[in-house]
Amino acid sequence: MRTIESPRLRRLLRVLLPALVIPALVLGGALVLDEKRQMFTAFAVAVCAVLLFLAGIERRQIGARRMVLSAVMIALCVAGRLIPFFKPVTALTVLTALYLGGEAGFLVGALSALLSNFYFGQGPWTPFQMLAWGLIGLFAGLLARPLKKSRWLLLCYGLLSGVFFSLVMDVWTVLWYNGSFDAGLWLVAMGTALPHTVLYAASNFAFLWMLARPIGEKLERIRIKYGL
Amino acid sequence: MEVLTVEHLSFTYPQASSPALEDVGFGLAPGEFVTLCGATGSGKSTLLRLLKRELSPRGEQSGRILLCGEPADSLPPRQAARTVGFVMQQPEQQLVTDRVWHELAFGLENLGLPRELIARRVAETAGYFGIADWYDREVDTLSGGQKQLLCLAAAVAMQPALLLLDEPTARLDPIAASAFFDTLRRLNRDLSVTVLLSEHRLEQALPLSDRMLVLEGGRLREDGAPRRVIPRLAGSPALLRAMPAAARMGAALGAAECPLTVREGRKWLGRHCIPPAGGTDSSAAPAVNPDAPAAPAARSSASAPAAAPGACAPAGFSGARRESAALELREVWFRYEKQAPDVLRGLSLTVRQGEIFCVLGGNGSGKTTALGVAAGLLRPYGGGVRVFGRRLRAYPGQSLYRGCLALLPQDVQTVFLRNTVREELADAGTDASALPFDLGRLLDRHPYDLSGGEQQLLALARVLASSPRLLLLDEPTKGLDAGARENLIGILRDLRNAGMTVVAVTHDVDFAALCADRCALFFRGQTVSEGTPEAFFSENRFYTTAASRITRGYFDRVVTVEQAIARCAACLRREAADADD
Amino acid sequence: MSLASCNPAVAAVCLLSAAGIAMFCMNPVILALSLCGAVCFSLLCGRAGEGRWHLFVALLFVATALVNPLVSHRGATVLLVVNHTPLTLESLLWGISAAAAVAAALCWFRAFSRLMTGDRLLWLFGRFSPRLSLVLSMAFRFVPLFGRQAKKIRQTQRALGALREDSAAGSFRGSARVFSVLLTWALENGIVTADSMAARGYGSGRRTQFSVFRFRRADGVLLALALLFFAGACIPLACGALDTVYYPRAALPRLTPAALTGYVSYGLLALLPAAAEGWEAIRWKCLRSSI
Repeated sequence: MRTIESPRLRRLLRVLLPALVIPALVLGGALVLDEKRQMFTAFAVAVCAVLLFLAGIERRQIGARRMVLSAVMIALCVAGRLIPFFKPVTALTVLTALYLGGEAGFLVGALSALLSNFYFGQGPWTPFQMLAWGLIGLFAGLLARPLKKSRWLLLCYGLLSGVFFSLVMDVWTVLWYNGSFDAGLWLVAMGTALPHTVLYAASNFAFLWMLARPIGEKLERIRIKYGL
Repeated sequence: MEVLTVEHLSFTYPQASSPALEDVGFGLAPGEFVTLCGATGSGKSTLLRLLKRELSPRGEQSGRILLCGEPADSLPPRQAARTVGFVMQQPEQQLVTDRVWHELAFGLENLGLPRELIARRVAETAGYFGIADWYDREVDTLSGGQKQLLCLAAAVAMQPALLLLDEPTARLDPIAASAFFDTLRRLNRDLSVTVLLSEHRLEQALPLSDRMLVLEGGRLREDGAPRRVIPRLAGSPALLRAMPAAARMGAALGAAECPLTVREGRKWLGRHCIPPAGGTDSSAAPAVNPDAPAAPAARSSASAPAAAPGACAPAGFSGARRESAALELREVWFRYEKQAPDVLRGLSLTVRQGEIFCVLGGNGSGKTTALGVAAGLLRPYGGGVRVFGRRLRAYPGQSLYRGCLALLPQDVQTVFLRNTVREELADAGTDASALPFDLGRLLDRHPYDLSGGEQQLLALARVLASSPRLLLLDEPTKGLDAGARENLIGILRDLRNAGMTVVAVTHDVDFAALCADRCALFFRGQTVSEGTPEAFFSENRFYTTAASRITRGYFDRVVTVEQAIARCAACLRREAADADD
Repeated sequence: MSLASCNPAVAAVCLLSAAGIAMFCMNPVILALSLCGAVCFSLLCGRAGEGRWHLFVALLFVATALVNPLVSHRGATVLLVVNHTPLTLESLLWGISAAAAVAAALCWFRAFSRLMTGDRLLWLFGRFSPRLSLVLSMAFRFVPLFGRQAKKIRQTQRALGALREDSAAGSFRGSARVFSVLLTWALENGIVTADSMAARGYGSGRRTQFSVFRFRRADGVLLALALLFFAGACIPLACGALDTVYYPRAALPRLTPAALTGYVSYGLLALLPAAAEGWEAIRWKCLRSSI
């Protein structure tokens, strides 16, 4: 297989490819398919986006230590979901992204969703969960500097990403059920999911409130000790 | 040609004031089995890791390492990975994949071998190690010993010329450790794999070894056949303490060629120490714990004149005694799940106040479970547990864990929460000055950067912070070297003398013989025997110390190496005196 | 050759193609076939606990079917008027179809989860993405390991008197403490795993993928059948021969040859897993009687 030599060009492509392919898919879906097939477009977009991001990460030469660290964080996300009162996936994804970079954040978010669905049930929602959690990690990585500086900003980010996650999943629920987007159904879906959303956002908030600093210190120590 | 040649190897860690290794030189011939000894911090792990290029620590290094005649640095990566196999201490964390077959294939996949060849090697290895039966299983379902065997098999599947093992049995129970050594011996004999092993458990490793290397303070102090080397260690009690019982006796009594195993020890004893007529003598019997202020036998006979010292005490005590019992389990029945088999089957046990009580027994005999039940962590479905005369239910809220009872778990890393020793102590509401031992120089270190023995002490400090009157210990000597074990025994005795009751569950018979006031043997969830160490160990045939096995029939009631040496010395003196007459 | 014993790639193609079409097509005939195939398969390789699962799906089916008429009032045929809001037949039909689609997808994906155990799925991923599949494989192993360690930590911390579980806040704080100890343990010990990988030559060059799965002749037959039926269903679907109109009046598409091909192909595709299972059971019975 031929590889692109220039690292800058490669990086550009890695950013541009998702940026080009996904709108193209949306546009194509809107033009070719009728309104009833919005779900198909949405599904295709989610799958492609996840695959593109993961392919980008796969191409990178990741060392054994980084791989193990990612695996540990993914397993902690899943094992944490099994601890009562805990839904640490979002918070842990954010913290991983802050200390190990946005790409690691995406990886941990996306693969945690995939892995935890082995315990909680796979389904057509898996790509959406992967994408939502992955993006939460990716953006946290991009915003790493301000988020590390201000605790309140981090807490807000945690709260908002919790809400964002629930909203995205509600959109998918509506699309799956109705084939196309329907505001009324979306309200119903959000209404039924409201207690869950609130609990979820609150648990994110509490988790980050209590554990952001200690976990940050621990990740920082590991990063220094093992020369990552 | 030598498999491994090390010439003038020195190594200094970054920001360290003194070198970790200094001018170390030795060679390994093909098929040799060599044991590397030395106290914690003598540079064993550093040396082994320097010999495995992929794991070399960063730092300043000088000298040469040759693998099969070639400088190790110049080998291509794949050849370097293949030539040297490495097995570490932690069975669980060394495994990479989730299936047994994949674990065996992992190294071969990394070498990029063709699939057919991998299939053949994996099958062969699985057959040789007898793991074909669990080929398809998830590694998670294996026992610790099986996991460590799998690690060994995975390393051997790559067909290394040299196998480095860094304390591979430190976390295994004695039976699993024996199985591991048996396999290692078989590998060495059948396939002529060169083995370099660092180990605490020299009782089993040394008899297998062609040579032993002794590191002291980063320098290679001795290099030669164990029988010759051990007598030369007579001046360093710290190093000698780690040696097999027979060898320690031999060295102390001036044998030119040390015996290594129990069999050789008995033979040597038969030749040199002829006990006086009548078979036994009790005149020269020293106390078990020479430095304890009150010998336990004396104490128990003072408080209960009716009970013959050392006799196996009956499990149930009558009313008057119950007040003085620190812990009492009566007819306790326990199982983990409704459908699971019983783990404790009518267990009865009484621990008196102010004694060190050791519980011994094989795997699955219910030792750890009994500790969990005693600490109120597991709820038995039948029987009663009393702590200082009160039922567990009579301790409201957290009061059981505040100033009454504390449990030191087997895995002490489950204790550590903070980033430094100082913070850890502060979290427990104590500080270094309040402790019965010294942690002063460790205060700014991270708990995970401490050695096994230091971690044990930190966890003990954390546990003692609630000033308990009853201390429960689960396998306190697991993974500790001889020095750290000695230190722990001293601390436990001090605590006992200060009035604390200590219950320790252990596989380590030597530890029990040295520090217990009373011992009990568990089998299938019940106590089958109980008594003072001398009585207990001299009545046991299998579950006893090496010193007891060596001296059996020659001397009575000898359980520790010190006792054995004292008795033998007296006997030798008498012999010498007879010769003079 | 049942799906459980065949090559993972073949099983994945069979199940995902059947599930995929049912997800994106609202034709009631296709949905009925899909639901029928999924339930048959699930019953044939049924185990304990399946009964409760089917009950759950049935309840979910009823609930989701009823949501649409309550929310959406499109459609020409009004069944009854409650509180000045009409309930229409079309909206009810749409609800039933959507519920069938959801139920069928749930059944297919459950079968998928059960058949594609961790190692089979990782083998599949490993073809495309060796590194990430290794990460996943490690994570797979870590989850139960961490779960057990968390239990041990909880006991230790309880015996230290560090957990106060008398209130919700206390419980949360206790869980946070346990989690924090677990995190340190996991991170610090993870390095051992990395060292063990390096010691066995990880990163020394291109890896081979070894697996215990083979591609046999029967796998080829099954795969060819699945792809044939999939194409037979997809082409009419893409041409619009199976498009169903729900609003304003519900109507099935005309039964053209193309539509008929679509129905037959999809029916065969949906029944393929169950048929493979049944065929295997019968063959095994014959074989065993000759032992």
